[in-house]
Amino acid sequence: MRSKRDAMEIKAFTVADLRTALSSEDFWHTKTLPITKHRALSYSHNPRADQDDPVLLVAYQDRQVIGYLGILPDKIFVNDAVHKFGWLTSWWVDPSRATTGVGALLLFKALNAYQQKLGVSGSSKEAGKALDASQKFRALTTLKGLDIRFRLNVTGAILGQIPALKIFRVLFKILDDILNEIVNLRNFFWKRRCDSCQGLTFEYISAIDEETGQFIQRHSQDDLTRKGKAELNWMMMYPWILSAPLKDSAGKRYYFSSRADRFFYLGVKVFERKNEMAGFVMLKVRDDRMSVVYSYFESGHALSMTAAVVYHALAMDVRALSLYDEQLVAGFSELGCPHWSARTVSRGFSLSTALADIPLANCRIHGGDGDLAFY
Amino acid sequence: MAMHEEITRMLFSVIDELNQLRPMEEHLEKSLETPLAGDSGRLDSAGLINLIVVTEQKTAEELGRPILLTDDRTMSRVKEVFRTLGTFADYIELRLNEKRDE
Repeated sequence: MRSKRDAMEIKAFTVADLRTALSSEDFWHTKTLPITKHRALSYSHNPRADQDDPVLLVAYQDRQVIGYLGILPDKIFVNDAVHKFGWLTSWWVDPSRATTGVGALLLFKALNAYQQKLGVSGSSKEAGKALDASQKFRALTTLKGLDIRFRLNVTGAILGQIPALKIFRVLFKILDDILNEIVNLRNFFWKRRCDSCQGLTFEYISAIDEETGQFIQRHSQDDLTRKGKAELNWMMMYPWILSAPLKDSAGKRYYFSSRADRFFYLGVKVFERKNEMAGFVMLKVRDDRMSVVYSYFESGHALSMTAAVVYHALAMDVRALSLYDEQLVAGFSELGCPHWSARTVSRGFSLSTALADIPLANCRIHGGDGDLAFY
Repeated sequence: MAMHEEITRMLFSVIDELNQLRPMEEHLEKSLETPLAGDSGRLDSAGLINLIVVTEQKTAEELGRPILLTDDRTMSRVKEVFRTLGTFADYIELRLNEKRDE
């Protein structure tokens, strides 16, 4: 006979609750985890969040997690006005409870907790369908970016499609190595003749220093969420993904990414000939992909900044580079850097209709805005 | 016409609208016994969200009585309210009666 189920219960964890949960053993004992410890640490240190902001909604039934939804409190800056809101993130429902209403419950609870003021940066197909159905969100903008392939992965591509060919793995690897050596050679000559690369110097930072903080402040006045020293330091200090060789026990119980073979942020200050700071980029490297999550520079330095980014992608031996800044995308075509392919990609951003009255037409959105800097 | 009957008719028109977006084999039956959310529910997250939003719109349009179904009060009773089309109709009637008595 089937036993009677307990009623479903939604618990809203505020920043303060999450800090308590971090040191509580009970919270981490469920079969499915609603968050990892390092992500909880990040949520609880968000400089845009207040202690009583709900940041994680968890649906429990029979003492087990059956769904959850994270919210990243943030602020929109327009002229002198500041509007608090939250980005939806990590929305998950146990597939075996898909028809219990838990997904809808989590979304409406989140909307109610933030006075209907929420944003979305990219979403899965299922989440997108549910968000569209709610009629509560309007597209804000779509960033057009470039996905540039510097190196080939014939082995991965072929074996991914036809696993039976794995007996030829060594041959594919050799082919990869030969083709990539050709690219290395072409890149070597490109770097030597690239005018925009000449005279560039760099300073690496793991935390935003005073000079960079002031530079960012001068160049972020049109940004939708005007990230500053505190926010960028927070992202770099509290990543959601850790560099680790294997999936740990927590990672196995959490649906979203929690580790990668290689994951780090790098702050790069770029200087031109006269020691003049041309710009700052915050790079994210995840396995064999590099992304520019935040970039600050004046238009006159766009080409040098693009060259600096490409230079780093080549030096870090990544297979792919993602650019979402309009000027960096345009700069890449001008640079003429050898690559295998450059595919147009896009990232959509939406805001709830409760934020529709804010004049946001000319606001700049970065490729790392929302929760995108964290993945 | 009795209010419950009006609500039922309105909900059947909501079902018609929802069915237009669903494959034939997933069409919802226009019956008060039709399960919505729950262990034997027929609607996934997007389906339930759609039902709630369209019902809010049609309650205003067809009954001339706007009602908020995404508030915490409704959400805290989601399993009970959305068990079947009939329980949903009962809940709408309860809320509309409360508004009338205010």
